[in-house]
Amino acid sequence: MTRQVKVLVLTGYGLNCDMETAHAFEMAGAAPERVHINSLIGGDERLEDYQILVFGGGFSWGDDHGAGVVQAVRIMTGLGDRIRRFIAEGNLVMGICNGFQTLVNTGLLPGFDGDYTRREVALLHNDCGNFRDQWVDLSVNQASPCIFTRGMDYLPLPVRHGEGKFYAAPEVIDRLENSGQVVLRYAGREGSPARGAFPLNPNGAVNDIAGICDPTGRVFGLMPHPEAFTHFTHHPDWTRLKAEGCVLQEKDLPGLNIFRNAVAFFKK
Amino acid sequence: MQARLEITLKPELEDAEGLALQKKVKDVFGIELDSVRCIRILTFDAELTEAECILARDRIFCNPVSQQASFEPLDLDFDGCIWVGFRPGVRDNAGATAMEALSDVLGRTFGPDDTVYTSRRYCIKGKGLTEKLMDRIAGELLANDIIQQWKVFTKESWDVKEGVGLILPKVRLNHEPEVTNIPIDSDASLQAVSQARNLALNPNDVPVIRRYFLNPDTLALRREKGLEQPTDIEIEYIAQGRSDHCNHNTFRGLFRYRDVETGELEVIDNLFKTCIQNPTLKMQKEKDWVVSVLWDNAGAARFDDQWNYVITGETHNSPSNMEAYGGAITGIVGVYRDPLGTGKGARLIMGSYGFCLGDLDYDGPLKPRLHPRRILDGVVEGVRDGGNKSGVPTPFGQVTFHSGYMGKCLVFVTALGIMPKTVAGVPGHEKTTSPGEHIIMCGGRVGKDGIHGVTASSETFSAHTPAGHVQIGDPYTQKKMHDFLLEARDAGLIAFITDNGGGGLSSSIGESARFAGGCTVELDKVPLKYEGLDQWEIWVSESQERMTVSVKPEHLETFMALSEKHAVESTVIGTYTDTGYLEITWKGKTVAWIHMDLLEEGFPQWEFDCEWIPPKLRGIYEPVVGAPLDYNGLLKTLLARPNIASKEWIVRQYDHEVQANSVIKPLVGKERDIPSDAAVIRPVLDSERGIAFTQTLLPTYSQIDAGAMTAAVIDEAVRRLLAVGGGLSEMGGVDNFCWPDIQYHPDKNPDGRFKAAQLVRSCKTLQAMCEAYQIPLLSGKDSMYVDGHLQGPFGETRKVSGLETLQFSATAMVENVWLCQSMDVKNPGDRLYLLGETANELGGSEYYEWMGYVGLNVPEVYPEIFLPLYQALEKAIKNELVNSAHALARGGLGVHLALVAMAGCRGLNVDLGRVKIRGEIPLEREDILLFSESCGRMLVTVPREKEKTFTELFDGFPCVCIGEVMENDILRICGRQGKELVNTCVADLKQSFKQPFGDRI
Repeated sequence: MTRQVKVLVLTGYGLNCDMETAHAFEMAGAAPERVHINSLIGGDERLEDYQILVFGGGFSWGDDHGAGVVQAVRIMTGLGDRIRRFIAEGNLVMGICNGFQTLVNTGLLPGFDGDYTRREVALLHNDCGNFRDQWVDLSVNQASPCIFTRGMDYLPLPVRHGEGKFYAAPEVIDRLENSGQVVLRYAGREGSPARGAFPLNPNGAVNDIAGICDPTGRVFGLMPHPEAFTHFTHHPDWTRLKAEGCVLQEKDLPGLNIFRNAVAFFKK
Repeated sequence: MQARLEITLKPELEDAEGLALQKKVKDVFGIELDSVRCIRILTFDAELTEAECILARDRIFCNPVSQQASFEPLDLDFDGCIWVGFRPGVRDNAGATAMEALSDVLGRTFGPDDTVYTSRRYCIKGKGLTEKLMDRIAGELLANDIIQQWKVFTKESWDVKEGVGLILPKVRLNHEPEVTNIPIDSDASLQAVSQARNLALNPNDVPVIRRYFLNPDTLALRREKGLEQPTDIEIEYIAQGRSDHCNHNTFRGLFRYRDVETGELEVIDNLFKTCIQNPTLKMQKEKDWVVSVLWDNAGAARFDDQWNYVITGETHNSPSNMEAYGGAITGIVGVYRDPLGTGKGARLIMGSYGFCLGDLDYDGPLKPRLHPRRILDGVVEGVRDGGNKSGVPTPFGQVTFHSGYMGKCLVFVTALGIMPKTVAGVPGHEKTTSPGEHIIMCGGRVGKDGIHGVTASSETFSAHTPAGHVQIGDPYTQKKMHDFLLEARDAGLIAFITDNGGGGLSSSIGESARFAGGCTVELDKVPLKYEGLDQWEIWVSESQERMTVSVKPEHLETFMALSEKHAVESTVIGTYTDTGYLEITWKGKTVAWIHMDLLEEGFPQWEFDCEWIPPKLRGIYEPVVGAPLDYNGLLKTLLARPNIASKEWIVRQYDHEVQANSVIKPLVGKERDIPSDAAVIRPVLDSERGIAFTQTLLPTYSQIDAGAMTAAVIDEAVRRLLAVGGGLSEMGGVDNFCWPDIQYHPDKNPDGRFKAAQLVRSCKTLQAMCEAYQIPLLSGKDSMYVDGHLQGPFGETRKVSGLETLQFSATAMVENVWLCQSMDVKNPGDRLYLLGETANELGGSEYYEWMGYVGLNVPEVYPEIFLPLYQALEKAIKNELVNSAHALARGGLGVHLALVAMAGCRGLNVDLGRVKIRGEIPLEREDILLFSESCGRMLVTVPREKEKTFTELFDGFPCVCIGEVMENDILRICGRQGKELVNTCVADLKQSFKQPFGDRI
């Protein structure tokens, strides 16, 4: 019997998608644990016992000073070196929504030149001016080294955020594009680029960017929520799809496949 | 040191917040500004070195990618500048998290006086920016003077070095807490105290209170405790306990109901007991799935073998009417503490909202404190921040506009939670306190927030006077507490838990101590936001985000360690006892000592005279209307009515998918933009079982008869649940009554007796309908006094009362979510069926309201006829015979044909000639057929190949095929004489439906 892949899903301080994120990893065959940030920093739990670290969705510290900002401070102060070692040892780090915001504020993304401390990109307030919950269509950059999206070219997922507008200086954007670090882009239903058009691109993200990875492809952050598409009835059109005779089984659920890819990385 | 950090976006970046303000100024004042840029300000009043300030700026508060920041005023060009900050004592959530971040980065803790204050500065460019205009922008768009203060600057008055100055809204009370004795030598003297302290004691209660304290035995015992006259804490406690809010005196009152027409008299002793409690308890006996009702913070019902779900609904009307954002966020965060405080604690799984407001475009002579437009913005944002930041999905809600709600708006908030059937070996829904257990207060600290008007009215405002009675909920603090308490629950550490809502500690401890039989509270142990609160203020303050927990001594250490891990403040503030008394001490001295039974015994019942005048006697008639000629135009006009039109912009601001429990979302259809009949959630992720939830209200029917309103509301709720696949056998209800004052007064409330009769009719109908549909009331609340006195143009005031309103929330079980259904028509060729009969029932309808009429023929409900039809439909949906199902509601058949077509983005070919009619509808009056709001009706579509099986199920029922789903985009409706009434593009209909609020995102 193969050893189960252990996943650490952070909780506490206003984080809130921990239960469904853990559940998604469980469906993907891993052994997830929901661990309070203080248990990790305080040493009750050891990061070294895990293979995947997940910064999930939510409103860490209320997001009052920019989404994910205070969490990034707490994490880098308490765990910075251990997380960098964790990455260097070949493990995976994933940031979803508030977790993505945290990763860019820690500098763990984009991680140019193996430097995981520099803030190079930002996730700004949505151009529409409000928090927004909607499903988006995403095209996947198949040339990306990203472990999590292997074998995928398109997926629909929900976004639920007020600060998701991906922004960076033009030279940083160019570098991300050239290195294949842009993983996900907002798109039309057939996968064609959104080209900034609202609401296909729900927040005004530069180059329609919805998710990026580090140069190794092992650190991945995205605004949409893959853990919210692990059941057929999650899809907004499922009653329509069913009436058309198209029922998605568990093996075909794109959100779930992201977690499967992460787990499979350790099982080969 | 004191320092002021200004942060703004880099100039090349668009400022979404600034653009939003620019747009609002244009909408409200009709003024085109050139630009608005926002600056966030953090004002530090803490022990920080200059180097530490700079570190904080660079490491925390300024994002180098997108922002610039400076401890000097930022040099942004403006023609006018507005600064907005909080008043002292107003909850500054961002200021609190800034302190946490500082502690992290600097690696040390701070003292209680170290604080960060957040504020904002708006740099505005545009022509004609006078100080007066900026003052209006500040007062009407940016700030509410109850909680905020502002300053305006012109280019001339701006000092580039000083900027806005160093404004520190610190609370300084300079007050030594003291306990005052209350004179009770006569009824008049106690009544005078009640008046002066704003206690609102009922005159009939005054002698009872005096009798208690003057009883020689009591007096002798009190003297042993060093007490004699009642203290202010004791009187405040009694006033809280006896308030209508805590005690529901109205619903427990004696109602003398007289029908003016027949002269019949009926006396109902205790409306609550008669119409709600007794029938519900009877149903509980018959239904094993009704687990716990009518005593706890929320009702509990069975979800499956391992889980129970809990539900409750609240209103937060008066606070929202004063400060829309603060009132609404406090409301939603507050109602989320109810499931958390039910049984041994439930995890929140969804919430919903209901807003009732005056007309958005009102520009008449009356001056409400806040214009309905502003209230809407505020309550939408309040529930958004409160719900989203709690990590609880908000998959359902409704918004209703009517001029009556300008007197007072209504804000309904509903919460559902889920709890294990068994917690640490004992039933999860049970709880009790026992002598010797610790009383622990968890969560936030106590301040002057939420103390009844007394402080606000008797103190003059100074720069350091706390803005007392208005609160701002803090979902972040509460979410931490929620996570902590659930972990404590699962570890078996909680004996009893309840929330601190209305009445604060006085009510949470007062009520929980009843189980043990007494308590001793050391009031000086209660952690405070700032010093200087009087003892009675600590006891009754409604400061938010607090729970009261009972913990056994052997669990204390583990409980406190867990609390620390979750960064939640928990404090032992007393002990439960079995002395039979509630005792409060301050630094070792007894300051309150009251027998536990006092509040239960001896107080006189409230009494109401009710006078029912049937609508005809009130001079209400059907209006005289001739048949319309342009049905296309009429239909589009009705779709654009504010109460029907799309409110997508609100729905999308609410996270309705967090927790991944979403099955049927609030917006459905091909373009995901038409409101669903109900929401369905799947709260246990490894189960296929679900809960359907909906809520309904039809206040315009109350203009004819609140009884008919009540019946229609419940019938609609049942049909909405049915439409998404909810089962009929385990439906639960939550009643939220919002009523104008019903106590007759010849000058102040001359129609009080009629409104009281309306309440009686509503309650009696509620009982009858719940019994007919077998819906136990799992929870409910009442909120009276939906009245406002608005100022007119010449300083006169006019009373504006809301319509008699019942919001009914309902749940149904879904055995298998794969069998759920949505309302959008799907495949071309599917057959369109109308279930139920249509009658001439336009009374109170949207159609009449549009014309300015009320009418007489209000829709009626015949549950004995409707129910068998519903049962057949339930079977049809479970057997997967239908491709869509939808409950007909506000707007009638015409509007709802349009809705299902718009949802499916498909045409429909409809023949009204097939519609089953109850009674008579003149042939030329197809408008009655199209816009009557008769109850008991559903629209379903059926694939052709299943039509035979489907129709067999409905043999003998009013269920007729009235048309077909088309490949094209045309809604075509033919009248009974074959004449084409409607022929229009579905896309055009949708444009009308979306246009009214189309510029909001």
